[in-house]
Amino acid sequence: MFALEFPPLSHIVDWPGLAGEGAWWEINKVVLVYAIAAFLTIMIFVLGSRRKELVPTGAQNLAEITVEFVEDGIARETMGEAGVKYTPMLISLFLFIFFTNIFEVIPIFQMPASARIALPLVLALFAYVVYHGAGFRAHGLGYIKHALVPPGVPFLLLFLVVPIEFVSKFLVQPFSHTVRLFANLLAGHILLVTFAVLTSGLFVLKPYLPLALLPMAGVVVFTAFEVFVSFLQAYVFTLLTGVYINAAQSHEH
Amino acid sequence: MRTFRLLLAALLVSLVAVVGSASAASASGESEATCLAEIASEEHFDPEHLTEDQDKAITACFQAPNPMVPEKNEVIWGAFGFFVVFGAIAKFGYPQIKKAMNERTERIRTDLETADNQKAEAERLAAEYQTKLADAKNESARIVEEARQTADGVRRQLEAKAQADIAEMRTQAAADIEAAKSQAMADLRGEVTALAIGAAEQVVQRNLNDDTNRALVEAYIQQVGASN
Amino acid sequence: MSALVLAEISDKGIAALTYGLGAIGPGIGIGYLVGQSVQAMARQPEAAGMVRTTMFLGIAFVEALALIGFVVFFLGQ
Repeated sequence: MFALEFPPLSHIVDWPGLAGEGAWWEINKVVLVYAIAAFLTIMIFVLGSRRKELVPTGAQNLAEITVEFVEDGIARETMGEAGVKYTPMLISLFLFIFFTNIFEVIPIFQMPASARIALPLVLALFAYVVYHGAGFRAHGLGYIKHALVPPGVPFLLLFLVVPIEFVSKFLVQPFSHTVRLFANLLAGHILLVTFAVLTSGLFVLKPYLPLALLPMAGVVVFTAFEVFVSFLQAYVFTLLTGVYINAAQSHEH
Repeated sequence: MRTFRLLLAALLVSLVAVVGSASAASASGESEATCLAEIASEEHFDPEHLTEDQDKAITACFQAPNPMVPEKNEVIWGAFGFFVVFGAIAKFGYPQIKKAMNERTERIRTDLETADNQKAEAERLAAEYQTKLADAKNESARIVEEARQTADGVRRQLEAKAQADIAEMRTQAAADIEAAKSQAMADLRGEVTALAIGAAEQVVQRNLNDDTNRALVEAYIQQVGASN
Repeated sequence: MSALVLAEISDKGIAALTYGLGAIGPGIGIGYLVGQSVQAMARQPEAAGMVRTTMFLGIAFVEALALIGFVVFFLGQ
């Protein structure tokens, strides 16, 4: 058997600092990706709103498609007309996550910033505060009852249902919201790294050289797949934010 | 505006929470070199004969931090990046694009409305012209009809007058002829009488009682006239 | 240990095996979910948009189970 030098999983996503090693403002590859993602997101809107034409082209078209997609496909779909005011937040979430994700397949970078737990955690906590805030605003203190006590449950069952609802709404929900984005991207990244390491390993070992074509095809196919995953996870994260806000502020249970 | 403030507050709260939770974890994030140097500076350190604890410590130096633990710098920069994006989009980007889209919708709707109005106007005008055209046609037909009727009347009148004239002339002529005939007859009769008398005088050579002669001739002429 | 060991029984091997077992449930769940959604879309193409959104939501919820297994692997490291 041949031995492949496979890096420990935690090393795959660990990047040395480019500047300020160890400092609170340490800049590494992930931070660089954040900066570029933020820049790209803002640039779409800056270029999009610079020249207003009747028939949109280029950046304006892109910005308008995004706005329409998020407003109709996510905000209205999950929250109805009441959700339109959350559109700017959902657009920023969607675009920022998408751009940080898509760096998974962009050469040189090849690192989804969301494969580090920091960004998903920040965004999920942001969403957590937003949807519980929306709930408290819609129901006042009655929101706690609204969230924990489903209607039409017999009194004795409440002793079982309320703790379950509490755990699922206040603890598991933000956790799964974070982990869904983070783990999907980390898994995709590990997948790509595995195929790439396998390809290079087989390439070095002369007798196995033809076999290297298989993992190479895998890299190509999964790179395409990861583009789709990048989009889908940004969409799902945003969609779930909308669903949670709707669940918190809806008046029918 | 209230929503915006709520979202701003949400961002700050989540930032504080994450940084707070991350600060404890990032203490282990020192570089490999300093980690190794620390171990090497320990007492009883012999590269050839490592104790079990030292071996573990060296392995730990090469161990990257667990990916489940958020890094403080990434949390800060990530939150900062998202905050900038969110602020820019909520304050400028989204309203701008939305305004452009609404303006376009409005403009297209106005254009369509104008086009509709103009179409309706054109249709109305066309209908009006049609009516007018039909009216004119009717009018002309009426005028022609009237003229024809007038002409007909005139013709009939003239015809009748001509007929009447002809009839009158015919009657007149007939009367004239009749009168001329009776005149001629009367003249002829007188003539014939005179001739006959003259002839008889010539023939008889005898002066008969003129009255008797005359009566005879008259009787004869009557006879001749009756047989004629 | 011979040179031909393919899968070493170690903590890591067991963790990977357990994750594989844990992925069976979500695998079945997502397969069933998407299959039913496709059926629904085929029967009522006019409701396809709604079904698709709900399908992605369902996938996200089911997938979370598999991902939690993935994360537990890292937590246990």
